[in-house]
Formats: sequence, C-alpha cells, structure tokens
Amino acid sequence: MSRVEGQSIISVGIDIGTSTTKFIVSHLKYAKVSSHFSLPRYEIVERKIVYESPMYLTPLKEKRDEIDLKTLTGWLEEQYKKAGVNVSEVKSGAVIITGETATKKNAESILHYLAEKSGDFVVAIAGASLEALLAGKGSGAFLRSKEVKGTVANIDIGGGTANVVLFRRGKVLGTITYHVGGRLIELDQNGEITFISPSIEPWLHSKNYRLEVKKKICFKEMQQIVQEMCKDMLNSLTGQKLIRLDDSLIHSTSFQVIPPIDEVMISGGIGQLLEKEAPKTIYDTAVYGDIGPLLAHEVVKEIENCSLKLIKATQTSRATVIGAGMQSAEISGATIHVAPSRLPIRNLPIMMIELDNEQIKNRDYVYEQIKHAMIEWKQYFQGEQEIPFAIHIRGISYCSYAVLKEVAKILFSLYEKYFPRNPVLVVICENDIAKALGQLLVLQSNNKVDIISIDQVVVEQGDYIDIGETINQSMVPVVIKTLAFMKN
Amino acid sequence: MNQADIQQEKLIMELQTKISDKIIDKDEDEKSFHYTVVDWSTYVPNPKFPEGIDELRKVTPARIGVWRTGTRPLTKTILKLQLDHAAAVDAVNGEVSDSLLKEFNLFTVETCYENKEVYLKRPDKGRVLTEEAVKMIQEKCVKNPQVQIVVSDGLSASAIEANLRDIYPALLDALEVNGLTQGTPFFVKGGRVACMDHIGEILQPEVLVLLIGERPGLVSANSMSAYMCYRPRKGTIESERTVISNIHSGGTLPVEAGAYIGTILRKMIDQKASGLHLEL
Repeated sequence: MSRVEGQSIISVGIDIGTSTTKFIVSHLKYAKVSSHFSLPRYEIVERKIVYESPMYLTPLKEKRDEIDLKTLTGWLEEQYKKAGVNVSEVKSGAVIITGETATKKNAESILHYLAEKSGDFVVAIAGASLEALLAGKGSGAFLRSKEVKGTVANIDIGGGTANVVLFRRGKVLGTITYHVGGRLIELDQNGEITFISPSIEPWLHSKNYRLEVKKKICFKEMQQIVQEMCKDMLNSLTGQKLIRLDDSLIHSTSFQVIPPIDEVMISGGIGQLLEKEAPKTIYDTAVYGDIGPLLAHEVVKEIENCSLKLIKATQTSRATVIGAGMQSAEISGATIHVAPSRLPIRNLPIMMIELDNEQIKNRDYVYEQIKHAMIEWKQYFQGEQEIPFAIHIRGISYCSYAVLKEVAKILFSLYEKYFPRNPVLVVICENDIAKALGQLLVLQSNNKVDIISIDQVVVEQGDYIDIGETINQSMVPVVIKTLAFMKN
Repeated sequence: MNQADIQQEKLIMELQTKISDKIIDKDEDEKSFHYTVVDWSTYVPNPKFPEGIDELRKVTPARIGVWRTGTRPLTKTILKLQLDHAAAVDAVNGEVSDSLLKEFNLFTVETCYENKEVYLKRPDKGRVLTEEAVKMIQEKCVKNPQVQIVVSDGLSASAIEANLRDIYPALLDALEVNGLTQGTPFFVKGGRVACMDHIGEILQPEVLVLLIGERPGLVSANSMSAYMCYRPRKGTIESERTVISNIHSGGTLPVEAGAYIGTILRKMIDQKASGLHLEL
C-alpha cells in the first residue's frame, strides 16, 4: 500500500486569453488519506508547477475574428518539448478559452481539438463562470477563503472581461462577469484610438462617450472613462447598484443579489500591472497599446473608495492557467465500479434525482421520480442522438441493501426502456455507496450495458462532468464543469 | 341514591375515564420517548463564528460545541452520554436473535467462552471452538471452500442485529460479481477475532471473512468489523489480517463495506496474500 502513496499524475493547463496564451505543466500528487482500517480514500495532497511557458500573444487571423490554429498548435508543440513532456504521459488537465477569445468564430472547435490532442484526459472548459472559478482557485483566493471568516472575492481582469468569483469558507457562492478589460480599447502612445471592442460599445454609448477609431483622446478623458467603468463595476459588486440583465456592463451572472464582500483579490493581466507605477500621461498609459495600466490603478482606487480590503494575489496573470492545470481535477471515491473500456468519457450532462432517506423506501415514489426525470430528459434532448449522460442520485445518507436493490432494479429497467440504445449507464452518488449500487446494476444489466458508478462527487443540475481513466485500479479523476448562468 | 352517593358515583366515573384516557396516553408517552438525533442536539448560543463551529462539529462525532451550564455540561448532554453508555453495556451483554440467524441460514457453534463474564476476562477462550463445534462444522460445512464466511457476536451482539441484513447480501452479490464461490457460512457465539485461525485449520478455506461485533464505544454500540485472512491457520499473526472497521449506519456504510469486501477477497486470492502483504 505504501508503494502508491505519493504517486503523481501529470496535468497540463492551457489558457487561450484575449491577449495572451499561457501553458503550464504540473504534478498532482495523490495519496491515501484514510486509515488502514477504513474504506480507502484518496486525495490530491500536493499540486506543484513544473513548467511555466512565457506569455505568448494569442495568434489571431488578420480580421481578428478567428484564432490562428496552426500557429497556436506549433507553439504548443514547442512548449511540450521545452517542458520535456510527452502528450501520452499527460493524465489530466484542462484547456480554457477565456475572455473575448471565446467569441471567436472557431473557438469551440479549437477548444475540443486541443483537448483531444493535449493528453489522455484533458478537458475542454468554456464559459465565463468557469473561467472566474478557475482564476479564483489559481490566484489563491479560494485558499484564503478557507483561512478567514468573511467572503473573499477574486476579480480576474484580463484583456476582455473581468471575471468575479465569490468564495466563503472554501465554498463557491457564485460568479459574475463584467465587460471590463485592458484591451477593450486600444490606442497608440500619441493617444490615437486604434480599436474599440464591440462588447464595450453598448456601455460607452449608454454613458454618452463617443469614441471613434483613429480619433485622438486626451489622458483626462481616457482616465474618466476608465474610472467610470471601474466605479460602475464596484457599485454593482458592493450591491449599491442592483443587478439587471439589461446592464450593458454585465456579461453574465449567477447572482441575482451579490452577498457582502469582505476581501478582494485581483488577478489576471491587470493584477500584474498593479505592481507598476500609475500612468500619468497618455504616453505612459499606452505602453502596451491599450488601457491596461490605467485600468489597473483605477480599479484599485475604486476598491479603496468602497473600503474593501485588498489582498495581494499569489498568482496574477497566470491565475487562470494555473487553476485550469492544477485545480480542475478532483478524485472520486475509491470504492466504485467502472467499465474501464468506456473511459475516459467526456462532457456528460447531469440528470438529477433527489431522494431522501424516507422517500427512497417508497418503491412507487422512486419509480415515479426516476420515470419523470427520464421522460423529461428525453423531451429535452428530442431529436438529438441519444447522447450519454450521468444520473446523479442525491439526498440519501443511509439506506439498506434491500432498498438499494429495488432502486437499482427500477433505475435499470427504466433506463433500458427509455434509452435502449445507450451502451453505458453512468451513475454518480453523493455518498459512499457507488460500489454497492454499481454491483447491483451489473447484476441487473447482465452485461448488456456497461456500468459506471462513482461517488463522493458533488454535482448540480446543469453541470457537465468528464470522467478519466482509473488511477491505481481504484478511483477516477473527474472534472466538473458548472454552467450556471442567468444571462450569456 | 342520595345526593352524596350520586356525587361519589360521578367522581368514580370521572376517575375511570381519566384512567382509561391515561392508558391511551401511555402509547403517546412511549412515542414521545423516542428521541431522534435532532432532539438530542444542543448548540452554542450566539457563537462568534457560527460557520467555524459547524465545520468543527461536522468532522467529528465527538461531543464538541454542545454548550454548558456553569462549568458543567447541559442535562441533555449528560443524559445522552449515560444513554450511550447504557447502550454499549447492553451491546456486550446482548445476544443475537435466533430469527436473524435463521433468516440467513446460519447454524450456531460456540467457543470455549463458557459465559459472558469468562468471555470478557479470558480472551483466549474465545479463540478456540468447543469440541462439539468442531464436530458440527466438520459435519455440515463444505471443505476447502474458496471463501468461508463466518459471523460472530464478539463484543457487540447489536452490531450483528443492526448490520447483517445489509452487509451480508451485499457481500454475497460481491462474491458473484467477482466470480467467487463460498462454502457453508455459520455463526460463532462468543467469538474473538483469532477464532479465524481455528476455523481455518478445520475447513482450510482459501480466504476467510469474519463479520464480528466491535467493542462498543460511546459513538456507536452497533459497530462491526470485517476481518479477512488468506489461508488462516494456527500461528497466523495479526499483520496477516486485513480489516475494515467502524461499519455502521453512521460510519462505513454496511452496503458499501459488503461490496468492497468482495474486491478485497478477489485481490487476496489473486495475490495469495493478506494483511500488510496485500496490495490494495
């Protein structure tokens, strides 16, 4: 047993952002955390970065509406070589396309292409909410929230968006993303505007700022615009301005009301610029050809005005890629049942079935609940091929074997009835009962359908899950992708 | 009947109704004596850091954050402690019901424990089966089975009562899923863990699994252990046994333990080892 302790898996993170692309390689060390006398439980006990790429300007095609895949993959291949890692050794990780880049025409196909090509179990991650979450985990805000009493916000400001996540005692409260970023307006050192992002135009318009490409702008005016942008964002974050779906500064949100924030961290490219001196002229401002340096210092001023406590982030510009590479994977319980030939299995949507300790004893109730969920599911995915999905059973803390057997019977017979062409049945339990349920389903299925039953994984309705190949013959890495949005 | 008599008659009737009401009430009373976890719980009033105290309480079943009166625990806390202690004593002194053993077709044999008092004072006696037991096992059981299942009360009869219905069928299914076959299971009264060695000598199984009641504690009186050994025999040392302990509704769930035992037994047979030599 001691042989396994401290084994590592190689994980990569790739973040294709509005302005820069980053790549990291990390070692995730997992070890047995349970005693010799209990059921085995493993956890990732150490996450270590072994290679960090330099910042690479995200290659775009001439019209700036498409990512230049060829150049990008060429760079990545070079990076794998420099890191001394073979794609075949990579067992975990995530590719994320962030900020404005996510709106490029070929973003989605590139994302999945890279995920497939980057290693055995590298998942594709998209969406502002996940981006905020990973940045918050990478910046150190998540860890900080476990150590302090209050709510910690991480604002990850890149070129195109500001992704905010709120943590409290190691739990995610929610995310909100604003159209606030360093590259939304680009200008040269003479103050001539060279680019205005379409995503900030509605806001500029609503505030009566009439900017035009090729026109000159003075430092005072630029500063006022950026200041107003920051003030608008902070007013919303502190609850002084209510969240409205038609707010032109809000990109997407999972909050309807934002809970009070105690501490703030700033990560992303803007977080890194905090260390530099504040620009005083348009010449200083445009050192990178955009409003980044100005934005960095205006946002800090506004945070101080709101008397929020600003905490230095442990990672700034690389927070998201570190989050993607090191924090995206979790480990399932170690007593599970899987069909190894079916793994890895990607992008499974979650069907939720809630049953408490009492309800589960009522056979008819269980039958109706599962039947209802399956019929609804079929209607929802009508027309599409019968894509595999995962059934999450939640709410049971204890149940007898006889009851579990009934549940397995009902679950399997209904699954066979409604999804006869699905060759695999994936079940995710909250509590440590996956092996028991898995073996019952195997006995039910008579090898007609492959069974994957895992546990100790927390998922929500609307989430997607990726399940990797077994580690040490006993557990699987999983990546849970939450897509809770009100507006996007 | 004079006025006084009528008065008295009335009084008697009233009393009688009251008494019969009382009888009906008695059931209600009994019901209200059935406390759930929620009824027993006490909390620190207005803690400075409520989330912190909740987090601590969640990671341990120990009695922390239960509040106090003066320098002493609350009456409720004391009563619960006494109740749990009484349950622990009952678990040691109790017996596994015949109906449960019949349900799973387990016949009963005894060790040389004589009685509960001797059992507690002389652990060595619980490790050896009586001559009669040896004879019965030889008569009734399949020899050289792949898996031999044995159930024993050990130090907690209530552990068997509480968990056998879940762990046993889960274990049987696990044997099937793992392609294993079992011999003839039976129940050992007054058993200690090392009675496995004696049984191993008699039946020569490839692997033996003993489901036995654990020493009851104040957290649970119904906790069970599963001890497993590859070719148990006289002179087996403790490090050659594999164990899953703390099996009860609030610990390692019996259904999952049963399912997992199947995997362990499979590995024992494949690796021809158990205990520290087994790679799980």
